Amino acid sequence: MERDNHQGEAQGVHISEPPSESSLPADTLVTSLSLLGNHMFPDAGEKQEEINSTADKEEPAELQQSDVALKEHSVAEPHSNQLKRLETEEAETSVDLNNVSTQSTDREKEDTAMDNDQSDSGEFVVTMLAKAKLEEQGIGVKGRSSPLLEAGTQESPAFMSHRDEDVTAESWRQHRKHVFVLSEAGKPIYSRYGSEEALSSTMGVMMALVSFVQSGDNIIRSVYSEEHTVVFLQKGPLVLVCVSSSRQSEEQLRGELLYVYYQIVSMLTQASISRIFEHKKNYDLRRLLAGSEKILDGLLNLVDSDPSFLLAAVHCLPLACSLRDSLSQILQKAITPNLVFSILIAKNQLLTIVQEKTVIEDTRLEPADVHLLLNLIGASSAFQAGEIWTPICLPLFNPDCYFYAYISYLDPPECTVCLLLLSTDKEAFYAVAECKRKIEEAMAAQNSLSLIAKAQSYSVSQVGVSDLRHFMYKPFDVPDNYRQLTQFTSPEMEAPYTSEEEKMRLLDLYRFMHSRIHSTSRPLKLIYHVAERETLLAWVTSKFELYTCFSPLVTKACAITAITKLLRWIKKEEDRLFIRYPPKYSTTPNPSKSSRGGKSDQQDTTDNGYLSLL
Amino acid sequence: MPEVSKMKKPDVKVVLLGDMNVGKTSLLHRYTERKFRDTISTVGGAFFLKQWGPYNISIWDTAGREQFHGLGSMYCRGAAAVILTYDVTNWQSLAELEERFLSLTDTANHDCIYAVVGNKADLIDPKAQMFQDSGGEPEDRTELEKDRTEPQVLSSCPTPPASPASPSGMILHKPVTHEDAVALYGRILRYKGLEEKSSLPAEKMCFETSAKTGYNVDTLFETLFDLVLPSILRKRNENQASPTVDLEECRGKRARTSCC
Ligand SMILES: Nc1nc2c(ncn2[C@@H]2O[C@H](COP(=O)(O)OP(=O)(O)OP(=O)(O)O)[C@@H](O)[C@H]2O)c(=O)[nH]1
Ligand SMILES: [Mg+2]
Repeated sequence: MERDNHQGEAQGVHISEPPSESSLPADTLVTSLSLLGNHMFPDAGEKQEEINSTADKEEPAELQQSDVALKEHSVAEPHSNQLKRLETEEAETSVDLNNVSTQSTDREKEDTAMDNDQSDSGEFVVTMLAKAKLEEQGIGVKGRSSPLLEAGTQESPAFMSHRDEDVTAESWRQHRKHVFVLSEAGKPIYSRYGSEEALSSTMGVMMALVSFVQSGDNIIRSVYSEEHTVVFLQKGPLVLVCVSSSRQSEEQLRGELLYVYYQIVSMLTQASISRIFEHKKNYDLRRLLAGSEKILDGLLNLVDSDPSFLLAAVHCLPLACSLRDSLSQILQKAITPNLVFSILIAKNQLLTIVQEKTVIEDTRLEPADVHLLLNLIGASSAFQAGEIWTPICLPLFNPDCYFYAYISYLDPPECTVCLLLLSTDKEAFYAVAECKRKIEEAMAAQNSLSLIAKAQSYSVSQVGVSDLRHFMYKPFDVPDNYRQLTQFTSPEMEAPYTSEEEKMRLLDLYRFMHSRIHSTSRPLKLIYHVAERETLLAWVTSKFELYTCFSPLVTKACAITAITKLLRWIKKEEDRLFIRYPPKYSTTPNPSKSSRGGKSDQQDTTDNGYLSLL
Repeated sequence: MPEVSKMKKPDVKVVLLGDMNVGKTSLLHRYTERKFRDTISTVGGAFFLKQWGPYNISIWDTAGREQFHGLGSMYCRGAAAVILTYDVTNWQSLAELEERFLSLTDTANHDCIYAVVGNKADLIDPKAQMFQDSGGEPEDRTELEKDRTEPQVLSSCPTPPASPASPSGMILHKPVTHEDAVALYGRILRYKGLEEKSSLPAEKMCFETSAKTGYNVDTLFETLFDLVLPSILRKRNENQASPTVDLEECRGKRARTSCC
């Protein structure tokens, strides 16, 4: 009975059912930018500060009741509060959508084409489209080829061939998440799917929107339609756009765009990107990024399928503490001047990271940088037999400098165990390769490879709670020497989450819970959510963030006992599940230096000669 | 950093250069693994070791993308042979060799040898297309194919590539003739200030290959390896005088890593 009750409630917020369904008719357009319920905010720092429109101001008042209730949340009583919350939430969502157009009218008084009326919104897009076409004509003539814009006349370069999608086809529009990157001058830089034709008009519209809003000293942040959320992110001279039907929150989508931006920075550095565009506003960045599409494609696939990105934490392979320690020691001993990070990876998960002492003194490696590295390795698997030496920038560590990455597999031909050594010295290849020889030798002596081969992720059944199907647990820093990489642990996805669709469905549920927990307007501490086929409980405290998935029949009391049990189990297994106390080494004779932020003389700030190409 | 005495450098260095997508990685993969499979555009450079008789030959497969242009001269430093690769179906890729890649070889050895290699010959030459790479006895097959005819070339128009903004982008993808490659080889020698007479002849150093079928791939690498032998011997003699490099240890190690 209780359960039925929940289910009724749950449907209202089930993510596959847009709350706006009946409130606004869709106004479809080639670009899928069908409805311009613009959220336009002044050019300011954080989102919270920017929400100053009428609609948004009303929200807190309206929701005060549930917010107050939530503050008193305890594990013992999430249920009734949750019910209240869900109701309010639903009401709020539609309010939000209804207010959108009003808000636009208020904020866009400069332009009359922009109105709160449906048909006028459509007209606006058409106007923008025309603008876009004009801009395009201006851009298309200069510079080297822009394969996207000159589609009609020029045979596509071979690197375009793997994205020959018919963009007029419904299937193109059906993609769950489109991502576009363009330059401020409107030049297409990257598109996740599809080909020229639609891209030029779509990107044209987007750029027109962006520059139009900019001209009014505002920043366009998002556009909502019945089916799509369009999120914009401007970073320096680059504009990133996501058109998503995934029902993720704007913040989540913007976070994903930020990963795309960082991946581009990791290849070119932020300094080079700015310099290039300072030099030549309509530079075709595809020239430099050509061939990197697969790296960006791979990143976006990972973002969709790997919760590490959502949680901004790294997932390490569970390993007996003694084995992990011995591997760390091996890395710690194989060093050479200017080596700063030694990372061992198996099955695309971290085994251990060892860091140079002074580098880490005032900072730590950010999860996002690790994600970018792992993605790069995944994308370079084609040449597993060789030893790779490539420049790479870790944008969160220092967006303007290059490291030189040595990448080599230790177990050919299987190629599951990968060694990644980062040096600040461009010329250090042979010295770094020699470190690999040492590591190989030591690992052979300790039979490490066969021990690593046995390591695997764990089953949720090990926790011993029958109704628990899956979970994600991310501990926060414990003071002092625990200060390290943010990590999370999660068991293998098992039945019923074995098919790709089911896995994605569970991840979508987690994303939904995550967006509620991290809502900028009303962050929550605890959510008990009864979905159609499972029950989820998300809980955030000062010590951890936890997402759990139970079978639908679980009772509230049962779920709470289960979580207590789970937390106890994690505590017991902690040494195996996480990299703890990562060891350090010292390779610099002068330990006072640190390369964070400032340009240490150890790091390479050269631009690899791009400027000579301009 | 030559003072790091344990650094074990291989005997000789061969570098693959050329625009992205011409098939450098595919060529090397065909040679070492005897397979043609999907590749991902190379990042930076990839280092491979090949044992050739008693010698260790290092091969650098570099990225053709402009993003990594600045690294090219580093990969070329001290090279004994440079394989300048283009795509026979893409005129621009040949032009890029001269415009973008030739200057990177300034850091190569003064006696470095140059090969001009037109890959993807299977797309224009039936002989290359029909070629079958029998993993077991590749040499015999290559011998049989030696009496190759000139590829049937569709056009011999010598016009340089038009600007990309031209209405017909087709020019960029005009096939490259063998004569074009030979002419480029001549210009390379001139650039290097080398006498045509005392240098290796163009007929010997201009190859047309197919990583897809394996056509001429072994011939290319093995011809080059044989040609760099004198360079190896000279280097070994120099090193024998130097106490910092332990050649015995070096050889023992490398033998394990290399494949046949
Ligand atoms: N038909 C044909 N296609 C080839 C041949 N060699 C390579 N290709 C194709 O050309 C594309 C590029 O090959 P790669 O070997 O990755 O090119 P690359 O020169 O290493 O490119 P970068 O690493 O980006 O510099 C791939 O799609 C290959 O399948 C060939 O001999 N014949
Ligand atoms: Mg390659």
